[in-house]
Amino acid sequence: MRQKIVFALSIILVGCIILATRVYMIDIPIYRFFGGGRELNPATLHLAGEFVESNLGTTREPDGSYTVRVVATQYMFVPHCMEVPVGVPVRFRVTSADIVHGLTFTNLRRIIKVTPGTISEAVFEFPNLGEFDLPCSEFCGPGHFAMRSHIRVLPADQFANLRPDQRRSCDAPQ
Amino acid sequence: MTRHNKQCSGRPRGADTPVRFLDRKPFAILLFCLALPLFLLGNSADDQPRVPSDVAWTHDTIELASSGDAFRGSLIAKSCAHCHGSEGFSSEPGIPNLAGIDRLSIWKQLQDFRSGKRYSPVMQPIAVELSSRNDADVSAYFSMLPTFSDPQDNRVFPQAIPDPKTSRLAENLIVFGDAHRGIPPCESCHGPVGFIRGAPSLATQNAGYLLEQLQHFAQGLRTNDIDEVMRIVSSQLTDEEKSAVSAYYGAGRGPSAPRPPIP
Repeated sequence: MRQKIVFALSIILVGCIILATRVYMIDIPIYRFFGGGRELNPATLHLAGEFVESNLGTTREPDGSYTVRVVATQYMFVPHCMEVPVGVPVRFRVTSADIVHGLTFTNLRRIIKVTPGTISEAVFEFPNLGEFDLPCSEFCGPGHFAMRSHIRVLPADQFANLRPDQRRSCDAPQ
Repeated sequence: MTRHNKQCSGRPRGADTPVRFLDRKPFAILLFCLALPLFLLGNSADDQPRVPSDVAWTHDTIELASSGDAFRGSLIAKSCAHCHGSEGFSSEPGIPNLAGIDRLSIWKQLQDFRSGKRYSPVMQPIAVELSSRNDADVSAYFSMLPTFSDPQDNRVFPQAIPDPKTSRLAENLIVFGDAHRGIPPCESCHGPVGFIRGAPSLATQNAGYLLEQLQHFAQGLRTNDIDEVMRIVSSQLTDEEKSAVSAYYGAGRGPSAPRPPIP
């Protein structure tokens, strides 16, 4: 009887630890297996993880799909000049480094709302070639009116040589 | 008895040989299960991500950087006076004025000099000798020094009189930015309209230093701005705009400076 009680208590304890990692956002790598610690800390985006500086921009996944990773910060979308292929579904993964922003696609009439701490994801297909504006649609401070990035929609064959470890954008070379 | 033992463990073992830890099946399975996710996570990590600066504005960092003791900082800052001036105003064009710059900006630059994220052969050995507590003290001291934009201070400024043609261009960039190119106005981050952490006030800065830093950002020689903001902005500015903005700020006529008295 005593052994059974100890066994049940230990199972409850382990369950509580797993729950606590989710409730208090404790980021222990081994608990990611259970879905804990998914939330991003907007202050430490540039240190490690998916949204480090060298991981931003357009990339071609090993299965051939396209992903664009963007960080919205006060008063800039990084990369400032994005390049996407035409007529192909493109997945956007956007997060914010400070406050709420809105990534507006003027050619598609679509908006991705960006909230700090979460990743906003959307899949768009660009029908027309050309260069378009990406203004911010959510008032984010005194520089909000000038927060405007650009997107270049290019023929898809220009992305044929893009390797999965390469990132593409038309910012000035760093 | 020995025959039975042989069947269980799968290999011959003498009766007096100690049972090793890993030979016990449950422990080996447990270890394997624990090591598997670690191995998978280790493989999925990026090889060498490019990190602009080791400083992140978390709660603890802000607490540490803003808890400096200005008196202790004034003692450490005796050795800074040779280049940065005894009152925080330098006489060399390439050396920044530190008087009145907010403490988080100075603290971050000292951290970056120490970690090598911002390259400077002069400042790096100095920053290596300081600790992050000393950085906080020094930046607290410099942030409390009076600037010429204080109404009580009657020192003669500006350093140079800007050309009226270029000052018009600079005013436009500082107050309105350029929305078509996506350049936000300077004063929305560098004050007085808006401030973000780590962006220093520019109204009291040296013209030569500002121009040099804008060029370094544009050429990729200085890369310690978080989220590439200054690199993107200055790579889009023309040479004329860079010199106009830095001359305007360097003349002590930044937006927070007082208007010259009307004769």
